[in-house]
Amino acid sequence: MSDITSKPDGWAPNPRAARRRRFDMLATLFGMAASGILVLVLASILWTLLSNGLAGLSVAALVKPMGAPGSGGGLANAIIGSLIQTCIGLLIATPLGLGCGIYLAEYGSKLNRFASCVRFISDVLMSVPSILVGLFVYQVLVAPFGHFSGLAGSVALAILAVPIIVRTTEDMLRLVPVAMREAGAALGAPRWRVTVFLCLRAAKTGVTTGILLALARVSGETAPLLFTSLGNQNWSLSLDKPMASLPVTIYQYAGASYDDWVQLAWAGALLVTLGVLAINIAVRISARRG
Amino acid sequence: MTDTQQQAAPQNALTVRNLNFFYGQHHALHDVNIDFPARKVTAMIGPSGCGKSTLLRVFNRMYDLYPGQRAEGDVTFDGRNILENGIDLNIMRARIGMVFQKPTPFPMSIYDNIAFGVRLHERLTRAQMDERVQDVLTRVALWGEVRDRLHAPASGLSGGQQQRLCIARSIATRPEVLLLDEPTSALDPISTARIEELLDELKEEFTIVIVTHNMQQAARCADQVAFFYMGRLVEVDTADRIFTNPRQQQTQDYITGRFG
Repeated sequence: MSDITSKPDGWAPNPRAARRRRFDMLATLFGMAASGILVLVLASILWTLLSNGLAGLSVAALVKPMGAPGSGGGLANAIIGSLIQTCIGLLIATPLGLGCGIYLAEYGSKLNRFASCVRFISDVLMSVPSILVGLFVYQVLVAPFGHFSGLAGSVALAILAVPIIVRTTEDMLRLVPVAMREAGAALGAPRWRVTVFLCLRAAKTGVTTGILLALARVSGETAPLLFTSLGNQNWSLSLDKPMASLPVTIYQYAGASYDDWVQLAWAGALLVTLGVLAINIAVRISARRG
Repeated sequence: MTDTQQQAAPQNALTVRNLNFFYGQHHALHDVNIDFPARKVTAMIGPSGCGKSTLLRVFNRMYDLYPGQRAEGDVTFDGRNILENGIDLNIMRARIGMVFQKPTPFPMSIYDNIAFGVRLHERLTRAQMDERVQDVLTRVALWGEVRDRLHAPASGLSGGQQQRLCIARSIATRPEVLLLDEPTSALDPISTARIEELLDELKEEFTIVIVTHNMQQAARCADQVAFFYMGRLVEVDTADRIFTNPRQQQTQDYITGRFG
């Protein structure tokens, strides 16, 4: 036993450090295992989709409208219907979401009651089950008019997209340094000019990313379309008539007992997935550019 | 009113009388009275939290951006009290420019950084704008470095270049007063030296008010130095006098590094 004044051996093994090292290794292993499992699940989904969907993915499936079982129908009207409804949905959601996000970031300080309310409601809206949104639009835009319509489907998708755009727009604008706003004001720029030409411009990449993410989120939605645009077996570009869409078609075809319909459902699922994948890659590229 | 107007004789660009400033309940500036002679450099020094930056931000009413901050008293500029309600803030801010501690280039090209402020207040032809941009960039000694990449993003410039761009941007709206809030504290010594040289040239045209923590900088650049402590103006005098023979003991203690 050394007395209290003698210097301890600085190189002596430290049991606590060894324990920490073991724990560190365990934690790393756990993290890697969890990541591995997630990647496996995703890979398995993609593999199933590819192996089942590629067979049904023919030129005919892309250009022919839906038809009766065995008649050699395709998915063309569902593809176009999906594109139309998501595009119109996004056209409605983008100005609303941007405007609201800008208001919350630039004018709605944390002390502002109304702004806090709006922020809370928007966040709640983000987690509302999408089927409820469908039912809501059914009550407002379908039941009173007596028929399903593509427009109602677009509105339902817009309601799902708005809170995503609001949140990302507000978050991205809050990342713009206060110094930028002061520098703009110090030159004699009115507030709206500072907001539009300086802040929004500085946050451009993030805001665009938010819009694209909202697009990716709503493009695969089925539930909000079931009671709104319903689906349509025939060619129809009319917004006040029922309109076909890929997710609803997948839902109808996948459970059917006809082989060619099931085949088309797989092809449709593959198409939706590839579309979402493409949007996500676009997000990556736009984020890197900024 | 006539009294303050007489005191705002042409030789003073800014005249401050009985100025008090509040951050909500906190009384940050107490009865400040000070004159800023036209086309001279006035340095405001003092320990952190003494109110010097607060005073600077009164001169272009930057505090108006924040609810709860208010100023009382008279700050006379060109015959009017700029603290009055009727003042057009945007016009006033074009006449009293400000440069901040951290360079804040706008997310646009070098050219547009300068054109942004000018376009707010003047309608210039393309050729006139080109001329204005070249003129102010030349004056901040940046023209040679950026003439070939005027349309490249300003964020690609070095910190010192960005700060000179910010000064160019401020003088492009042709202000009469230039407020600088510790403009070199984020810069390396070489960039700092260039900006100090620049101040010497700019004071022929502008009244300059600079807040600085760096006493050598105040001694090098300023004609007049004001020492603040705990929200009060302790002493204001020529730079020579302040640094060689101040009247107040507090000033003496601060410049010799005994506190603060």
